[in-house]
Amino acid sequence: MRETVRRAGRATVQLALAVGLTAFSFAFITVLLITAIGTVAAVGIWLLPEAVLLIRRIAGAKRSMVAGWTGQEIPEAYQPITGPLRDRLRIAVRDPGTFVDGRWMLANYAYGCLGLLALPLWLAALPVDGIWCGLARRRQPLVLPLISRLADLDAAWSTALLKPSPKALLAKRVEQLTQTRAGAIAAHSAELRRIERDLHDGAQARLVALSMRIGLAKRAYERDPAAGRRLLDEAQEHAEEALAELRHVVRGIHPPILTDRGLAGAVRALAASSGLDVNVQAGELEDGPRAPVAVESAAYFVVAEALTNAAKHSGSRRAGVQLARTRNGLRVVVRDDGKGGADGRDGETGGTGLPGMRRRVAALDGTFAVTSPAGGPTVIEAELPCAW
Amino acid sequence: MRVVIAEDNALLREGLVLLLTSAGHEVVAVAAAEPEILPALLAHRPDIAVLDVRMPPGFRDEGLRAALAARRQIPGLPVLVLSQYVEEAYAAELLGGGASGIGYLLKDRVGRVEEFLDALDRVAAGGTALDPEVVTELLTRRRGTPLDSLTPREREVLTLMAEGHDNTTIAATLVITERAVSKHIGNVFLKLGLPPTDAGHRRVLAVLAHLNNATDR
Repeated sequence: MRETVRRAGRATVQLALAVGLTAFSFAFITVLLITAIGTVAAVGIWLLPEAVLLIRRIAGAKRSMVAGWTGQEIPEAYQPITGPLRDRLRIAVRDPGTFVDGRWMLANYAYGCLGLLALPLWLAALPVDGIWCGLARRRQPLVLPLISRLADLDAAWSTALLKPSPKALLAKRVEQLTQTRAGAIAAHSAELRRIERDLHDGAQARLVALSMRIGLAKRAYERDPAAGRRLLDEAQEHAEEALAELRHVVRGIHPPILTDRGLAGAVRALAASSGLDVNVQAGELEDGPRAPVAVESAAYFVVAEALTNAAKHSGSRRAGVQLARTRNGLRVVVRDDGKGGADGRDGETGGTGLPGMRRRVAALDGTFAVTSPAGGPTVIEAELPCAW
Repeated sequence: MRVVIAEDNALLREGLVLLLTSAGHEVVAVAAAEPEILPALLAHRPDIAVLDVRMPPGFRDEGLRAALAARRQIPGLPVLVLSQYVEEAYAAELLGGGASGIGYLLKDRVGRVEEFLDALDRVAAGGTALDPEVVTELLTRRRGTPLDSLTPREREVLTLMAEGHDNTTIAATLVITERAVSKHIGNVFLKLGLPPTDAGHRRVLAVLAHLNNATDR
């Protein structure tokens, strides 16, 4: 009984909010009318995009209200209204989201006042449920649940009306893919440039120097054997340095141990050489099936960067890495108990790695989150979707 | 010495054969892929096996696995594992069954012919040869351990000891007397809390076990 009353109370608040929002959007009709008249008169045409933006906000408020009641988010799909007036107008009119919002608003004028019924229902509930439960000793009240039903009804209709069309969701997805693909291509070519520069400045230069030393040693071979020997020593040093640099470049392209041992083994090796006390939990990744190469490589990159950051900036001596296979992908969590305060924004100083990690994860359509309150701890989470 | 070589790259394989034969060793068999390794070792029972880590068909760590498998079938078989890159994890696996007759070196080291042949002899004689890069990584990756209390000289001695060198070589490398080397080693063992051990691979093992524990803690 108490539970029913509490639920009815919550429903009433929900309905009252709905009524309030409806009342607000009634008032908004005036704005719409002015816009319409203005548009016809071609003076207030700039008002149109602003009006659309306002409608978006009202619809957004409704979405979050409904989500608060049902516990289920209603996705939204809008095209950003930006650029010069002409573009803004075009987007405002042609965005399918505008149509969805308009349709909902019109319908809401009709059903939005449903909530007003809550008042008479409460009045009826007091005597009816009072007698039903109090005198007839029944468990379930009759009228109070109707108020919840009313809120359910409001939520169901709003969900149906506010849900973006498949086309709009698709458009949003295309937009997102375009962005991440551009990011991935940019990151890829930056990576190629870095490799090219590393090879050019490093191994290539060393090999030139090595060849020169051998040439000189050949000349000195008969005239000055001691000098020849010295030149050969130098040549060998250059060859060894070139090899060391090539090894370094190869590790940067694709860590060999990742190929050999898979993600769990490679992360353990990272952990061992990080200089931190790292607890690695790899669960069924230990010897289960392996994720696609791109996913393993991105996950390895995230762990490597996160551990490097932790060792350099967190001031912490301990860290934890969790790798887990999820229903539709791979989940990577790296935490340290350091001093926190890492944010992905400062590109130059503390967090060089964070934007890189974010980009790398986004390119695979994954999600990336950093929580690092001042005082710590820092937790970096990445979810990489993939089929296993 | 009779040597079996496992290396898939023809250029490097020929180079190794040339180097070993010119040093007076006999290459009794060469394996170019992982499935050939174990039969060759079982058939020839060489004095030492020189194995590349990455081999066909999988190009992963076949050579390493073959080395471990071979040592299970032929106990005490000296193996020298060569690799384009070194990993602490692999060193730990190789040494897991005892450090006697184990070598783990970067391929680059082959270029230092004298040192390479010396490492080969050491491993064949039941000693140890660990790549300086592995040892450096083990020694530098952690602070706040008893390692901090070592003097620079003691660290040098410890590094050479972990690479598998005996007192004579350490003394020659650092240009100090063997007496001084023994003194430094005594200090290192004292500071690390290790029981004093005689020369040879058991000493290497004690040091490496200590370094590994220091990082796993």
